[in-house]
Amino acid sequence: MRESSMRRAVRRAAVVAGAGVLALGLGVSGALAETLVLAAPGTPEGFDGDALRPQTQNVVTQVYEPLVRYGRTTDAQGRERLDSSVVEGHLAESWETSEDGTRWVFTLRQGVKSPHGNELTAADVAWSWNKSFAQKRTGNFIARVSNVSGVEEVSRYEVAFTLSAPSSIFLKALTLYVPGIYDSETVKQHATADDPWGLTWLQEHTAGFGAYHLAQLRPGEQAVFVHNENYFGEKPYFDRVIYRAVPSGASRVTLLKTGQVHWIERPSVQQVVDLRKDDSVKVEEAVGVALASVRMNGTFKPFDDVRVRRALNYAIDQNSLQEAVFQGTGSIARSVVPSVIEGYDDSTFTYDHDLGKAKALLAEAGYAEGFEVELLYSDMNWWQQPMAIQIADQLRDAGVTVKPTRITSSDMRSRGAPAVQDMPFFAFQNPPIVLDPVYTMYLLAHSKGVSNRSRYNNPEVDRLIDEARETLDSGKRLEMMRKAQQLWLADAPWIMTLYASAFEAMAPNIVGWMDYPDTHERWADLSIAR
Amino acid sequence: MIVPLLVGILFFTFMLVRIGSQDPVGLLAGPTATQAEIDMITRDLGLDQPLLVQFSYYMANVVQGDLGESWLSNRPVLSDILQRIPITLELLFWGVGIGALIAIPVGLHAAFRPGRAFDHVSRFLSLLGFSIPTYWLGLVMLFVFFYLLGWAPPGIGRIGLIVIPPEPITGSYLIDSLLQGSWEAARSAASHLVLPVICVAIVAAAPIIKHTRAIALEVVGSDSVRYARASGLPEAIVRRIVLRNSTVPVMTFVGTELTGLVGTVSLIEYVFAWGGLGQYGLNAIVAGDFAAVQGYVLALALFSVLVFLIIDLLVVVLEPRASEQP
Repeated sequence: MRESSMRRAVRRAAVVAGAGVLALGLGVSGALAETLVLAAPGTPEGFDGDALRPQTQNVVTQVYEPLVRYGRTTDAQGRERLDSSVVEGHLAESWETSEDGTRWVFTLRQGVKSPHGNELTAADVAWSWNKSFAQKRTGNFIARVSNVSGVEEVSRYEVAFTLSAPSSIFLKALTLYVPGIYDSETVKQHATADDPWGLTWLQEHTAGFGAYHLAQLRPGEQAVFVHNENYFGEKPYFDRVIYRAVPSGASRVTLLKTGQVHWIERPSVQQVVDLRKDDSVKVEEAVGVALASVRMNGTFKPFDDVRVRRALNYAIDQNSLQEAVFQGTGSIARSVVPSVIEGYDDSTFTYDHDLGKAKALLAEAGYAEGFEVELLYSDMNWWQQPMAIQIADQLRDAGVTVKPTRITSSDMRSRGAPAVQDMPFFAFQNPPIVLDPVYTMYLLAHSKGVSNRSRYNNPEVDRLIDEARETLDSGKRLEMMRKAQQLWLADAPWIMTLYASAFEAMAPNIVGWMDYPDTHERWADLSIAR
Repeated sequence: MIVPLLVGILFFTFMLVRIGSQDPVGLLAGPTATQAEIDMITRDLGLDQPLLVQFSYYMANVVQGDLGESWLSNRPVLSDILQRIPITLELLFWGVGIGALIAIPVGLHAAFRPGRAFDHVSRFLSLLGFSIPTYWLGLVMLFVFFYLLGWAPPGIGRIGLIVIPPEPITGSYLIDSLLQGSWEAARSAASHLVLPVICVAIVAAAPIIKHTRAIALEVVGSDSVRYARASGLPEAIVRRIVLRNSTVPVMTFVGTELTGLVGTVSLIEYVFAWGGLGQYGLNAIVAGDFAAVQGYVLALALFSVLVFLIIDLLVVVLEPRASEQP
């Protein structure tokens, strides 16, 4: 208690002092007008997008750009955001689909050049996808969910994708930064017999067609990116980006408050709540796609009874979770598909807080006296611990005794892996990185979905998803997904809580931020307000 | 003696990091991996082999100077560590050096006049230094001297953001930039050293004051000093005798302190984004980067051995009697 009140006092003093330091002119404006200075927990671990490492993911999005991208639209507040219902050309100009939807030919934009001076060709695209196939990591996963079985060069500017079956996810999957499109000429110069994909070289270098490329790396200290002189798109505002490693989150916040950096990576929600009150910092937010879920495994008692799963949903008060866990920053979850995704359906959501209904359902299922259960959580996400405590507290009113039990995040990860999945009741989060209802449901609700970690299995839902994956007619597939969402909701495999919002904290004069489903900002979007 | 010790340390570290429930495979594979992919990575990393087999491979490599690759950075652990050793040593050298230069005279002075005001104040300060959490100390220093007063640079590492660092020679930005006559870099490096060095000095000084005082008190109460006093020798000469007799135990203690501080310094490195060995080790432990953790522990063990060796040699020089003892 003493520590937290002390922290509050320190914080209050900090806000007062912040303005003073800014006035001293320690700020990053002036001499560094075209340099974006960013504080992150570490320097990039490498520059191969197929490797899932946090800082790597943050920078490859700046270096490697996709064949197609989402359209842009303006929301009610007049801010630009992605429109998940529109996919437009980017590195590719146009594309054609075969009658049966299993062969797609993309015509590349001409004159797209890497900083090394090589022009983008179909061979680059084919090489890049083959790299991902061979590595069997993230890129391969994307290929698998979108049914891509091969990529080949047709002509200098035409590249063909072969699909094992038609895929409605495919085009949207191409908006991702992985498999990244590499300047294969350059990478091949550094490949060896042992390392045919040049991964060692990619550890400290970049070769993409995007807006930025790596200029200098001092591992553990900082990375400097400069803009690609040959970039085909509009020249970005910042021609240099300094990516500085500052491991302590508290230090990063101080640096931002005092104007030493323009941007900090990943403020915690507690920090966001504080930073919002601070005039020397701007906090932007977007509706999140990450459902802070508490999952029930139907192969274990008492969760094998749908009445129990529904009862738990009725017993939970989402509004009080919003305050107690999210401090007002989340958005109430009413479907397994996030609300920003086209085809979102919450028409059959009925789980508003109703303790009477919860108790009646439990009694019907033979648990009038309630039951005892362990709720597993880890430190994988910031919300898991407070959520577990709140859930335990709320379910007590319905007669259910929940014992929140902390396990390590690696334990959580391995016990949630496809072959194991032995946790009856646990907290987890799997945001979809493709803004598509079929992709989302295939991952989270299909019995073979890699992120369906509680063995949810409804053959009818599986059938709808499988059919929708191969249905290219937009109206039909959205209709199927509406049905699937309703079936899923009736089965109530998860306790519906809230979606965690996406936040970014930046200097007050930074404008242009847009939220991407991969949660990585694009430096090329950013500029300083005049 | 040293070789079996190091092998033992490696063995225990090797087993301990694996017994802990870290899961590098899960981290590497990511949330979307299938079981086949998870199995493949496990095989690639050799984690499907029995622990003793894994250890024998590891030892065979270590003997050839190969500490393995960090799974996090994909870089050889040896080069990662070699690059970071001077960075941490620089911080330790200044911090412990300044801490000892202040703490030893304070401890001695307190011992000469036990129970007086100076003694009480020094004991209080020493206790304070003991009780302050290192991490908190770093944050408070930044808050006061950077945030409130604006005297010190921010905690962004060893050199300013727009300053071009010197070409690496020794690995210390301060020394390298002085050697190359790059004054701007030298000034920036020096100013970035101030706060972390003060933190290390405070943490180092507290136990040194306490122990120097205790050692000197014992010497003051010893027969030889009492005899010297009884013989009516002037106070200055008595003090010199006390000093002579305290040197070896105090020096040994500072050496022990130095090896212990390598662990503590990692927290200071973390707060100031120092990027040295301590921060590397801390990161490796949190991320379950087995090879890096083992390399880090090995480096610490070698460092301790080296420090004790140097102290033993110094003791022989200062106190020739020591070598005659069986």
